[in-house]
Amino acid sequence: MIAVALDGSGLRLGESRILHPLRLQIEAGECVAIIGPSGAGKTSLLRLIGTELRSELALSLWGEDPWTLSTRARQRLRSRIGMVWQQPPLPASQPVVTAVLAGRLGQWSLVRALFSLLRPCDPEGARAELARLGLADKWQQRCGELSGGQLQRVGIARVLYQQPDLMLADEPVSALDPVLAQSSLDALLAQARARGSTLIASLHAVELALERFPRIIGLREGRVQFDCPAAAVTPAMLAALYAGDQEALPCIG
Amino acid sequence: MSRWRHPLPWLLALVGYSLWQQADGWLGLLDGQSWRQMGNFLATSWPPRQDQDFLALTLTATLESLAVATLGLAGALLLGIPFALLGSRALSLAELGPIPSPLRGALRAFSRLIAILLRSLPELIWALLFVRLSGLGPLAAILAIAVSYGGMLAKVYNEIMESGALQPARALLLGGSDRLQALCYGVLPAVRQELLSYTVYRWECALRASVIMGFVGAGGLGQQLELSLRMFAGGEVVTLLLAFILLVTLADGLSAWLRHTHSPGRQLLACLGLASAMAIYQLDWRMLSFSLGGLGRFIGEFLQPDWSRPFLLTVGTGLLDTVQMALLSTLLSALLALPLACLARHCWPLRLLFNLLRSVPELIFASLLVIAVGLGPVAGILALTLHTTGVLARLFVETLENADQTPRLALQLSGAGPVASFWYGLFPLVSRQWLAYSLYRGEMNLRAATILGVVGAGGLGQQLYVSLSLFRYDQASTLILAILLLVWLAEGISRRSRLPRPAPAQRDCQIWIGSKLPASSRPR
Repeated sequence: MIAVALDGSGLRLGESRILHPLRLQIEAGECVAIIGPSGAGKTSLLRLIGTELRSELALSLWGEDPWTLSTRARQRLRSRIGMVWQQPPLPASQPVVTAVLAGRLGQWSLVRALFSLLRPCDPEGARAELARLGLADKWQQRCGELSGGQLQRVGIARVLYQQPDLMLADEPVSALDPVLAQSSLDALLAQARARGSTLIASLHAVELALERFPRIIGLREGRVQFDCPAAAVTPAMLAALYAGDQEALPCIG
Repeated sequence: MSRWRHPLPWLLALVGYSLWQQADGWLGLLDGQSWRQMGNFLATSWPPRQDQDFLALTLTATLESLAVATLGLAGALLLGIPFALLGSRALSLAELGPIPSPLRGALRAFSRLIAILLRSLPELIWALLFVRLSGLGPLAAILAIAVSYGGMLAKVYNEIMESGALQPARALLLGGSDRLQALCYGVLPAVRQELLSYTVYRWECALRASVIMGFVGAGGLGQQLELSLRMFAGGEVVTLLLAFILLVTLADGLSAWLRHTHSPGRQLLACLGLASAMAIYQLDWRMLSFSLGGLGRFIGEFLQPDWSRPFLLTVGTGLLDTVQMALLSTLLSALLALPLACLARHCWPLRLLFNLLRSVPELIFASLLVIAVGLGPVAGILALTLHTTGVLARLFVETLENADQTPRLALQLSGAGPVASFWYGLFPLVSRQWLAYSLYRGEMNLRAATILGVVGAGGLGQQLYVSLSLFRYDQASTLILAILLLVWLAEGISRRSRLPRPAPAQRDCQIWIGSKLPASSRPR
């Protein structure tokens, strides 16, 4: 089954063209990494797929166009999508456990959601996900007390707890040291494999992407430069992708 | 032990007690008779009276209010600036070195104490006292504004000067300049804009205050309003209220324009000059009489407060009533403002309603509500609630709009509904700010609750009004001491429970409301 299909004329924000016309199909259960220099449109592509932005591009998720659905049906569809943000949008005064539990708001009834504010209704589930990311002892702290790297992992834990069918990760490990980056990415990949859900991640760490993801999409200036299995990516292709970038190939993340 | 320190149980107990104690008043709300009376009153109030004579009277009264505000502020400046300079550390020669100088320190402390005394009593109470002294008419209002705003200006000017960098003035003083030179070259350039904008804002407050003071017979729009209310002339009340709202809106716009324009000095002078010219032309100078002999006797009687036990008990009841009014109304309006603010983001007529509620002072609401629910604290509570709901809802909406929306949007992108995403994604961002605003309004309401009694809405103000009408100055003196105690207590509590200061980026979005700035939120 095709989980994500994009086809159409690209994306403009104001005057500037962010994405050129492109065609993209991703099967359910696939794990895809998007690489490319800064400003290539990686984040915009993810925001398009995550239904945050709307463009002339025809988007179809599991065979449905989210923009032709009713608001209610679209929200139901969205509850199957999980976003990992580069800077997780978590209120500083919120307890970590509540921030993680908020991942399932789309699946909970309103009454349950409001009761859970007074007394977390599934703290064990949230703690289990936090433990997978090495944050088991932080669940009672507030988000504002955590470091940037810890906060990023809380954002990952929220998506893991949400158990979505489609996980979109925008630089999910940019604030983590190499070891933590690997283990956090592995947690996302393991979840994708275990539940058969789709994972699309944009990454700056090229070697990590080549090593862990079976399929790589190279994006440059809003165009898909290549879209092939990781084994087929050659140093020449990478050099062309990052050509003209001031920094040489980004080091291993 | 820490259990007992938590404020929530105490708060709940006090709310329960006051509901129980005012049970009669609350039941009166369900009484059809009183509402029928209110209905009759409202029925006569449309259309507003608009014949030539009455409109001319309204215009005269409006101009008189304007004149009172302008002259009152001029007096406040005369009184406030010397005290601000005396109390300031920014220009102290003794601080250089420092040279130990107990005399100068004592002088500074003394001037600060005087400023605190002047500003602690609400301006309406000052007006009540001055009406006894100088008779009915605008002079009492001018004096009241001059005295109470003088104290406030002294305090805030002082804070503004000391909040600016002290280095430039210090460098000039070290270079041998005298203190006035250091003021002009070292302090004023940095804080000029802020001082001016605060003064304009005070003028706007003085305008509202001058209308209120009419209720105790100090002339202007308020006095006409009080007369019309007493005669149950609904049409006149509506005309006067419309004139008042127009006046306040114009002043609001003018002061916003003056504060945002780049070189306000000249426009400010032009406006103030125009207003004062109008004022001097307008005022009936024969009304300005003042008897010095009366002053001596007045003060003499005031220096002997009534400490008898039964009277102290009465004062205690009034004190409790006042606290209850402030507490219940703040709680009610915070609860009302929360859903209203959320709704108002998508519904602009609600914002209009907030502005209307905000611009009508508590005292006017109280004088209308007394008709419906009868004399007593319940009218006061409802009046405070109406006004405070307008203020808080508007502040809440501003906070909501300035808050970071990404957490909420992120939740909605993962399928959460609008209500759930508000409670999980937006409320945690704004809750502390909302609590801080509510506490601050609570403090304001405590001050306001002491004056509502003047129109019969219960509390200490009512007792003060009665005792002054009966020329029992000894009792009035005790009551004023009780009001001072209450105001200082409220300030102390709010200073202790002050929530952490908002981030500098957030501080700018807050507007100045009420009669005093929150110390934590003044933009620096």
